[in-house]
Amino acid sequence: MSTKEQRERIELLQGTLDLLILRTLRLGHAHGHAIAKAIEFNSDEVLQVEQGSLYPALHRLIKRGWISVEEGTSENNRRAKFYRLTAKGKRQLTLETRKWDKLAGAIARILRPAKQEGES
Amino acid sequence: MKRKRMMEALDQDIRDHIEREMQDNVERGMSPDDARYAAMRKFGNVTHVKEETRAVWSAVWFDQLLADIRFGLRTLRKNPGFTAVAVLTLALGIGANAAVFSVVYAVLLRPLPYKDPSNLVVLNETTPMVGTVSVSYPNFLDWRNQSHTFSEMCAIRGVGFNLAGVTQPENITGDAVSPNFLSMMGVRPFLGRDFDASEEKAGTSPVILLSYLLWQSHFGGDPNIVGRTIKLDDRSFTIVGVLPPNYRSLDKTDVMLPIGVWITDNSEDAKERGSRGDLGVIGRLATGVSLTKARAEMEGIAARLATEYPASNDQFGVALQPVRDAFVTDIRPAILVLFGAVMFVLLIACANVANLFLVRGASRTKEVALRIALGASRGRIISQMMTESFVLAVLGGVLGLALAVAGIGGMSRLIPADMLSGATVDLNSAVLLFAAGVVMLAAFIFGLAPALHLTKPDVQSELKEGGRGASVGAGQNRLRAALATAEISLALILLVGAGLMMKSLYRLLAVDPGFRPDRVLKLEMDLRTQQYSKDPAVLNFWQQVLDKVRVLPGVEAAAVGTVVPLTDSHSRTDMTMEGMAVPAPGNYPHPDVHIISPGFVETLGVSLLRGRTFTDTDDEKVPLVGMINAMTAKRFFPNQDPIGKRFLFGHPSAKNAPKWRTIVGVVSDTKLYGLANPARLEVYVPLRQNAASEMTLLVKSGAEPAALTSTIRDAVQSIDKDQPLFAISTMKELVNNSVATRRMTLILLGLFSGLALVLGAIGIYGVISYSVAQRTHEIGIRMALGAPRRDVFRLVVGQGLKLAAIGIAIGVAGALGLARLMSSLLFGISATDFETFAGVSILLALVALLACYIPARRAMSVDPTVALRYE
Repeated sequence: MSTKEQRERIELLQGTLDLLILRTLRLGHAHGHAIAKAIEFNSDEVLQVEQGSLYPALHRLIKRGWISVEEGTSENNRRAKFYRLTAKGKRQLTLETRKWDKLAGAIARILRPAKQEGES
Repeated sequence: MKRKRMMEALDQDIRDHIEREMQDNVERGMSPDDARYAAMRKFGNVTHVKEETRAVWSAVWFDQLLADIRFGLRTLRKNPGFTAVAVLTLALGIGANAAVFSVVYAVLLRPLPYKDPSNLVVLNETTPMVGTVSVSYPNFLDWRNQSHTFSEMCAIRGVGFNLAGVTQPENITGDAVSPNFLSMMGVRPFLGRDFDASEEKAGTSPVILLSYLLWQSHFGGDPNIVGRTIKLDDRSFTIVGVLPPNYRSLDKTDVMLPIGVWITDNSEDAKERGSRGDLGVIGRLATGVSLTKARAEMEGIAARLATEYPASNDQFGVALQPVRDAFVTDIRPAILVLFGAVMFVLLIACANVANLFLVRGASRTKEVALRIALGASRGRIISQMMTESFVLAVLGGVLGLALAVAGIGGMSRLIPADMLSGATVDLNSAVLLFAAGVVMLAAFIFGLAPALHLTKPDVQSELKEGGRGASVGAGQNRLRAALATAEISLALILLVGAGLMMKSLYRLLAVDPGFRPDRVLKLEMDLRTQQYSKDPAVLNFWQQVLDKVRVLPGVEAAAVGTVVPLTDSHSRTDMTMEGMAVPAPGNYPHPDVHIISPGFVETLGVSLLRGRTFTDTDDEKVPLVGMINAMTAKRFFPNQDPIGKRFLFGHPSAKNAPKWRTIVGVVSDTKLYGLANPARLEVYVPLRQNAASEMTLLVKSGAEPAALTSTIRDAVQSIDKDQPLFAISTMKELVNNSVATRRMTLILLGLFSGLALVLGAIGIYGVISYSVAQRTHEIGIRMALGAPRRDVFRLVVGQGLKLAAIGIAIGVAGALGLARLMSSLLFGISATDFETFAGVSILLALVALLACYIPARRAMSVDPTVALRYE
């Protein structure tokens, strides 16, 4: 049974986490643990994802058809689930990235309006 | 399917994930245990992750709902006693609601089977003397020609026929209608054709539409019926079609014919502006015209006609009512009162179940506390408890519907058929929908308060402190006491309603009807065939009937007469008393006229107050005579002997010699229009001086009169084998039917209030016995300190009576307000009748006392040592 607070945190992370997963998978297919590691590593360990929350997000993306899942063998010859970006997912990533940039820019302008004035 | 596969894959995935993380940790130099622990921590709550992922693939609320329903069913199974009582209580409440609603729907709500029924308006003439009366055909024609607020208007003339030669001779009824009637109503014949516009004029050939029922019963549903003929009153009518099976009219319609046929047969009636027979008018409002506007226009037209034709129309106005109102009749107040009553029963049932929930909830507070401690939110627990309530309510609803099916059967037998105006009461989709709504509502009413209460933070925190003390129960006891009080109040209101009805019915049946209905049978006959076109043949037939019936074994007396009390047939006409001041044309005395054979007054048991009744010598050879009733005597001859005074029917005219009748007797008033209605002016004239072909045969027998029916029928048919007898009933049945709506209301209100009383008593009993159980310790201390058992008894009973007193006080206040709504159902008492209120209050107090008695006895028998040691 989930408490209210937990659910809200997931909700906040949801969109962002989806974007990060898509971004990670652009480099090639990967299994869950690898995706988590990649996100941590690529963000210089700033983004500490609670690894478990990766899975609802992965399944959400599968349901939307942005990624697909396949059986495979990992580097040390173990069977594993591999997640792969679909064509639809690629388009979505471009779209989401653009949206994210726009949003980040907008927020930055709101948070530092004085500085912007100074520059102009 | 996909969801299941995905979830299986997830388990594997998560295991792999944690293993990898653990391996990484080990490679970083952690001990295996630390590595596993760190991996688990980093991953987070596995169950939670699974739940979230599952939520991706399904609507999570649905899963939760299913789980809650399963949990609810399990809980209910674990408490079979609680479940049985709660389900049964709810079933009674919901079943009663569904049954009464089926009547409400059938009578008040079900759309009438016409096109745009909301635009259809029934029009009648009115007179200050009588109220609503039939319309004369010439007036109808003027209404139709002069009005602009109606797009169409039709006349409907009630007609009757003798149908012989098919089965046993029988009387059938129907309507002669303007040819556009069916198209205006939006009714299409099931077979054959509608009437043609040309069939409105005199000279129309006799054509007829059969009702679906008549077609089935007399012609076996012959598909080639169109073009065949049917013989009515020894005339052939060409069958041009069959009405649809769902055709609905105010009275029984066996046949329908174009009004032109009626005009052909009754040319005088159709031309006479003052002749208001059984003719009604129905119109369709033009688009966008309101009833108010139409009424204003019609009143103007009626006023113009009254000025133009004062002799026939002076003082006559017009009444308009939506067609729905014409169908609803007097039953509306009764069923609305009953509908209110079952709502109350439902509320009481809900209060009782809520109480049960609270009692059971008290033992569940620990469980709830535990679940909250484990992180369940209050909302989640409330929704779980509500689901349990819904499960319970649905079970109650299913059982309730079974009860409703039985109830609907019983109710449709209780409701007099003519009160239903052709409405069928059944369990249909509307009733099911309503029942579903009631189930939802009930679940909310009885589920929400306990759920909110049991999860209240202060209840929970107090519990956590481990107390078992009185303070935990205080709030809950208050809630339970409030519920029990509410039950008492509602039960009192219902009991007052039932009490008022009972007293009214008692008073009504104690009314002197002006005749002795015991052992009197009535049978109607209408001589319609050609052989009775002359008066002597008619008189001869009646004489033969009386001669034959009077000698039948078991017959004490027999007579024929028109206008029997408490039936629908009435005959009224203007009267002039010799020497009275000549009134304006519309203000003539307008008595009910009885045409009777000798022996009628005696057979019906009407008392002769003065003078004599008619004899066989009061015939066409002697001067005209008549009798009047007590009311007429009092009105015209307050201080004189009316015997020997003279009156005539209609208005004195200079043209013709006045036909004065001499009053030879005065008889008691009869309640022609129902026991609750005031007596009216009545006059009696002898049959031999006023031949009438439509008569009622009255037979007084020594024993059960209904048993005579077939021998009487044989006797009549030995005179004329094709002559039907119809509308056969005993006078006792007529009296009973005349109070049938009230009786039904009383029976059902009595049933509902009895139910309310029992539920209310259970409510009080529950509260008191629970409180005694809670206070065993306290009572033990009191007794150990020397309190006499009597005081303990008084303490417990006092507590219960206090609840009852508050409930009674609130109930009396409520009943004072609500009983007024049923004043139209009452007779001879006011809606605030003191005796009823006092009696019901005392009854409730006694029942409350009884309900407290058992727990009080239990309290008295508390053994102080046991009670104290228990702590």
